[in-house]
Amino acid sequence: MGQILQFGINGLMSGAIYALIAVGIVSVFKATKVVNFAHGYLIMFGAYFYFTFAVLLPGMSWAPAWYVSWEPAWLVEMKEGLPMFSPLGAVLDWLTNLPRVIIGLIGALAANAVVGLIIERVLMRPLMGQSVFAMIMVTVGLISVMSGGAQLIWTADANYVPSLAPNTPIRFTLFDTQIFLFGTDLVNAVIAVLLFGAIVAMVQFTKGGVAIRATAEDQSTAYSMGISVPRVFARAWVLASLTGAIAGAILATRNGVSPSLGLFGFSVLAIVLMGGLDSYVGVFIAALVVGVLEAMTQWKFGGDWAGIVPYVAVLLVILVRPHGLFGQKEVERI
Amino acid sequence: MKLNRRSFLATGAAATGVIGLPAIVKAQPKEYVVAQSLPMTGPFATAGQLVSPASKMFEAITNAEGGIGGVPIRVEVEDSGYVPQRALANYQRALATEDNLVMYFGDSTGFMKLVAPELKGKNATLMGSTSFATELANPEKNPYQYVAGPTYEDQFDILLQNIANEGGSTVAFIYSNTEFGRDPLAHGRQKAEELGIEVVLEESTKAEGADIPTHVTKLAQSNAEYCILQGYVTGVWPQLIGGARQLGLQTKFMGTFWGMEKLIADRVTAEAGPFLEGYLGVMPYRYSYDQEDAPRYRTYAAFQKEHFAGTPLENYMPTWGIEALCSMEIGLEALRRVANKGLELTADNAAEELAGIQDWDSGGFFGPNVSMVSNKIGTGRVYQYSTESGLFEPRSDWLSV
Amino acid sequence: MINGNLKASYADDERVLDNSYKKAFVYGMMVVLAGFAAFANDYLILVACQMGIMLIAVVGLNVVIGYTGLMSLGHAAFIAVGAYGVTILHNLGAGTVPDAVMPFIAVPVAVAISALIGIVVGLPSLRVKGLYLAVATLAANFIVIFVIEQDLFAPWTGGMTGIETPAPNLAGWVLDDKREMFVLIAVFAFATILTVQNLFRTRVGRAFIAIRDRDYSAEILGISLLRFKLTSFAISAAFCGLAGALLAYFYASILPEQFELALSLQLVAALIVGGMGRTMGPVFGVIVIVMVPEVIKVVFGAVSGGDPSVAQLRAPLQEMAFGFLIIFFLMFEPLGIVHITDRILRALNRWPFARG
Repeated sequence: MGQILQFGINGLMSGAIYALIAVGIVSVFKATKVVNFAHGYLIMFGAYFYFTFAVLLPGMSWAPAWYVSWEPAWLVEMKEGLPMFSPLGAVLDWLTNLPRVIIGLIGALAANAVVGLIIERVLMRPLMGQSVFAMIMVTVGLISVMSGGAQLIWTADANYVPSLAPNTPIRFTLFDTQIFLFGTDLVNAVIAVLLFGAIVAMVQFTKGGVAIRATAEDQSTAYSMGISVPRVFARAWVLASLTGAIAGAILATRNGVSPSLGLFGFSVLAIVLMGGLDSYVGVFIAALVVGVLEAMTQWKFGGDWAGIVPYVAVLLVILVRPHGLFGQKEVERI
Repeated sequence: MKLNRRSFLATGAAATGVIGLPAIVKAQPKEYVVAQSLPMTGPFATAGQLVSPASKMFEAITNAEGGIGGVPIRVEVEDSGYVPQRALANYQRALATEDNLVMYFGDSTGFMKLVAPELKGKNATLMGSTSFATELANPEKNPYQYVAGPTYEDQFDILLQNIANEGGSTVAFIYSNTEFGRDPLAHGRQKAEELGIEVVLEESTKAEGADIPTHVTKLAQSNAEYCILQGYVTGVWPQLIGGARQLGLQTKFMGTFWGMEKLIADRVTAEAGPFLEGYLGVMPYRYSYDQEDAPRYRTYAAFQKEHFAGTPLENYMPTWGIEALCSMEIGLEALRRVANKGLELTADNAAEELAGIQDWDSGGFFGPNVSMVSNKIGTGRVYQYSTESGLFEPRSDWLSV
Repeated sequence: MINGNLKASYADDERVLDNSYKKAFVYGMMVVLAGFAAFANDYLILVACQMGIMLIAVVGLNVVIGYTGLMSLGHAAFIAVGAYGVTILHNLGAGTVPDAVMPFIAVPVAVAISALIGIVVGLPSLRVKGLYLAVATLAANFIVIFVIEQDLFAPWTGGMTGIETPAPNLAGWVLDDKREMFVLIAVFAFATILTVQNLFRTRVGRAFIAIRDRDYSAEILGISLLRFKLTSFAISAAFCGLAGALLAYFYASILPEQFELALSLQLVAALIVGGMGRTMGPVFGVIVIVMVPEVIKVVFGAVSGGDPSVAQLRAPLQEMAFGFLIIFFLMFEPLGIVHITDRILRALNRWPFARG
């Protein structure tokens, strides 16, 4: 029982991050009707930008000392005499890294937004009104361009980044089983859920969100009602890039930065289709379900089985409910 | 008009065919070619990018010493991206374009296995690699491929023996889900049983971007005293150890050759703290800073100081480079022996001489003189990392398996 | 110059090679290929073999995407099934079936298995279209590779470590040389193109096109979507299976990772670049997709002079070029190279009276 809980919690935590990734795909789809196959690579760029601002730049010779590691007198004093790997030590280590983490996140958000805008302007806007096939395949082409580009800029090496939150281990006993959690994972999951909620609320209640929904409903009507559709497009892509940057930073702290981060995009794409392309709620549920299923598979069958869980799940769901769990059925005119 | 364009295309194609006629030149060769596939991009790019200058150094030093029987060598480096079929394409291309290809250096177990059945007749070449896979040390099946050290199975033997000597009773195997990671598992399981060590966890992870928290959780629940990591190069293994330490686990971690690089250990220590303290592993060779009894290392060091000033290679040669150099030195030794006998440098002659390398002074790569036994060299040593000195320090004598 | 396209009977009009230029081109190509097989050097043969194998697969993919209008990002799975099918059959039959007969059994059976798997993978196509189908096929690709890699099946598939493949023995003729393989591949590639060209003169082929143009309308016209969508998947999977069988014969061993998503994307890219739903589309597409990395390689070698630090930029650039090719053609020439050659031929045909 305790074991199930342990892996259930692990699964929910990674599910939350899947949801954060998925929100980018759904937002772009809602506004532009494009399913972004390259979203995983947008996330990878986010991770690399975080790496750039949190590790590469502080490594430069001109970087100020507080940026490299922030060590005010009181911090150094507190650190003294602490045993290695103590919980307080983890917090203090995190405090030392805090300037890097904050600048890294800000840098990643800004840079990724620019990348998103460029993609929207250069590739997506000229294709407005083209067939779904063309738009999807452009994003497929984008996969190669982005993964090649990342290797060109950062080389394809796996790298480490400072974690977003103190990595204090959390241990407690439940049903006679020791449960282990990493503090940073918990914080990551909370960030992911909060962001997800914030975005759903934004789309639901703000003016910009209403514009996105109106465009999703009917592009030409939205146009004639005075909504600037191109701006809605741009906004959706920026939204996707921003969530992608945070998701990228989180994934980077969990798994290290490497071009293989892009592959997350495919499994999340499966999750999105499973939940229903245009339904935030459905996608959220699907993400958590897949996260838990993956963790359970990992526990019972080992790591190699976990990888195909999303794909099997999406195939089963699509066969029964062609538009996902909560997706709207498309109405076609002949 | 269709015809015009198409006949034009046709003539073009025909012309290409004629230009591409096989060159029928087979006189005294001007130079011998040693070709390599290295992962200059992809997950192991760091390794490939540091090995390729080492190859250039090998070329220069070999030629300064008279090449092979007076004929200079040329080292051709190709990028494989650590994709076996790309490395295979590189090999086939080298075979088709280079007339005097005498040695090849492959960059993965996958490639070596992929290419093995092609090594027949005129398609055969003497072939070393980055891999220590057990299957490659099999001269009956494949005399052309060799392993420049002990196989992964041998390395597991050494580690497990070490655990038994320290009185350990439980071990966990964590490995990447690649043939590289899986290679010694079955053997390790068996050896552990022989030594009375219980294997409490066998966990496969992705080769990059593994789900660290879950793996560490499983390790924690298994409560293993020792954990052997296999199948990683630059990533995953330091994060696994880091996660375990943060969780407060006392598990002792051990690695095989590819997880023993000082550059990575140093980088991890600088980035995340001293949690690699006490990390232990098998290494077939001396580290490049251990030059006292290694004349060959001193030659390299002098060359590096002169030609690689300002790069990471100025004062240190990573283990990856050492391995490649050792592999090529062994191949070179075999080829030189062929040339000294006045024979043609065919793959078969080279393979025969390779098998005959006995009691060979490697110039310091290995401690004692070594012998090629069934296309591998079963010698190695246990080293331990010290975060304070930033060095891997020997923990045992030279062991033979 | 074609002044008219006069036909005296329906049979003439229906011919595959309906004018003398096409005939001359096809027969001419046969001669050129024969010459190529005899005279080209090893390196060209190597590249040509790779092209030939890929061509067969892309022609197969063209049936689904180009003619039936169904999206697939998972066709590498069928190539894998073909390749592994042939290898496993050879291994199973070793000893009981004479080697000289083996390929004549193994290849058709492997192709049939591919077709069957194609039908299974095609099942979602009845319920979902476009994007959903793309993801469903993509998922199928991941799953097939996963199954091949499983330890459970490793005794047959070799698991992650791959498996050695046999050299075909065609009634006593052992093709253990790349040049001999080229002959076999070229014959099959040629036959494949002609078969598919022929297919679209039949009821089945026309039904595919009707489904592509509007599936509901096709259904109203009495075309069974169930039957023809699955037929389309089966035919296309069969060709990919054939490509896989040849691939297994061509290489001395195969690894599961050769058949991952990257290969599926390459096939689709070749189709987009060449031109979907056209006979010559796959031919042009495959030539471009195979040649561009080679050209980049040659140019890079010339520019960098073998400096390894520059050489490490090459692979990322090749990858980017691949992506840019897809994007460029989708944005500026969605009908592919075939459309460009069409325009050139038309201009030539009308010259000097009109242009374009």
